[in-house]
Amino acid sequence: MRRPSHRGQTLVTYLLLTIISVIGLLPYYWMLSCSLKTNENMFLVPLQWFPNPINWSAYGDAWRAQDFTRYFLNTTFVAVAITLGNLLLASLAGYSLSKFRYFGRGALFLLILSTMMLPLEVTMVPLFLIVKKFDWPNTYEGLIVPFLVEGFGVFLMRQYLQSIPNELIEAARIDGASELRIYAQIIMPLCKPALAALGVFTFREAWDMYIWPLIIVTKDSLRTLPLGISLFMSSFGTAWDQLMAVAAIGTLPMVLLFFFLQRSFIQGIAISGLKE
Amino acid sequence: MGDHLSASASTQSPLFRKSLRLNIAAKQALFGYAILLPTLAIIVIFRFLPMLQAFYISFHEYDLIRPPRFIGFDNFIDLLQDPLFLHSARVSVTYVVFSCVPVWVVSLALAMLFNREIRAKNFFRSAAFMPVVMPAVVNAVVWTFMYHQDGVVNTILGWFTLDPIPWLRSSRWALWAVIIIGIWRATPYYMVIFLAGLQAIPQEYYDAAQIDGADAWGQFRHITLPLLKPTTLLVMVLSVIVAMKVFAVPLIMTGGGPADSTRVLPLFIYQTAFEFFKMGRAAAMSVFLFAAVMIFTIFQIRLFSRGEE
Repeated sequence: MRRPSHRGQTLVTYLLLTIISVIGLLPYYWMLSCSLKTNENMFLVPLQWFPNPINWSAYGDAWRAQDFTRYFLNTTFVAVAITLGNLLLASLAGYSLSKFRYFGRGALFLLILSTMMLPLEVTMVPLFLIVKKFDWPNTYEGLIVPFLVEGFGVFLMRQYLQSIPNELIEAARIDGASELRIYAQIIMPLCKPALAALGVFTFREAWDMYIWPLIIVTKDSLRTLPLGISLFMSSFGTAWDQLMAVAAIGTLPMVLLFFFLQRSFIQGIAISGLKE
Repeated sequence: MGDHLSASASTQSPLFRKSLRLNIAAKQALFGYAILLPTLAIIVIFRFLPMLQAFYISFHEYDLIRPPRFIGFDNFIDLLQDPLFLHSARVSVTYVVFSCVPVWVVSLALAMLFNREIRAKNFFRSAAFMPVVMPAVVNAVVWTFMYHQDGVVNTILGWFTLDPIPWLRSSRWALWAVIIIGIWRATPYYMVIFLAGLQAIPQEYYDAAQIDGADAWGQFRHITLPLLKPTTLLVMVLSVIVAMKVFAVPLIMTGGGPADSTRVLPLFIYQTAFEFFKMGRAAAMSVFLFAAVMIFTIFQIRLFSRGEE
């Protein structure tokens, strides 16, 4: 009696899953397939679902139209620097806040926490004025330094480190290990899962950064990929094949990151649910 | 004699041992401060001070060239009478409400779907997750293309014999186009958070409920929902804050148009500050945005903790 309804349920489940997958993947498919179409075939009626003829020239053309190599390297450099900075500083701060006793620890932690929910959109004007005082518009410092650590990362590392028993640290101290060595050789290896998740999360955010570079970068040589792509769209708005090609290349690192570090990638999102 | 005294005092007296321990404790505290210092410096300079300064600037008229001039509450009063600002606030509220509510429902439903035994689960879950992987700017570019009059969205509408919609060219539809993208991109993100929450619910609860004869709806209503409450609250707060910050997609797709229909608050703040160079006014807008984020977060937490009693 249960079986038919069970089978029907299964069918509905897989139908749903298929529709969800199509919705999730359609923009990717469309981006790729249109980057390989010729511009005349872009808006045929009825729509051309598979590129025919396949035309690879858009990738080269777009790459030559603007200095995308430079933009790509800029983004990579900025994102890597921000990620490394966050891993180092957040783990140090989290270690300090969870395992050391000193005056004002609770207050300092609260101060850091209070900035966690603060959107950049609220502080962009004063942040710009401060960065201008440092003379950092149009520099890598301006793109990187304000984002070297976030309250969220500190919070995450502190929570994680609290679960590590103090005895481990005490034992190392009795063995005569220096504090720095304890951090580097005992604490860091134990934090690997948290660091991986935080690292992927930070890298994704940094790769995505748009509003801040838009504010402080005006020099072409410092443009990041998101700036380059949006500029390309406003100046070559009708060259859809090239635009899609550029978009595809800008997405590729994220897709690779997702496929090779899938667990950490998803973990990175799941832990952003830790904010409480 | 003196040597002997000092030697015995330094090795045996409890005072010495105490000072030795204090010395170690002080050294450790110092180390603790030292490794916190870089983080503290960055957070204070680039997060905390700007937050305070946003308030300060909002009471001034400042165009980056002449020195700031104190004008009291004028920026705030002007804003409350400025139809463009009120319109922008309305656009933001519409965006937040209509992009968040569907996301809560759909992301929870998806999480429950993926929490079951499914064949090829990893494939389906990865496919559903892909919107999170796409960078925001790419997202805007690709969807602009898909919303084209003869583009893929209108083609699919045509399959259901619906008329093509002039998505980004009409002030009636443009905001909905932006909202759809917001839903597309946010849903899998919160699905992952819900999934983590669901997996923390012990299976025994469901087993016990089944023995008691509870049906699927009863289980959802009396086990899943109550136990998922902290996660739900978090998803609500996070998603609203993220939606309040939406910027790249409307800027790139429509620049705020047509007829200001997609000019959300962050976009208006950006334009006021960096296109019209009215820093004070932009800062006052930020203060409103900040207040909205705060009030909303507190309100939602209150709402949820009252239900618990």
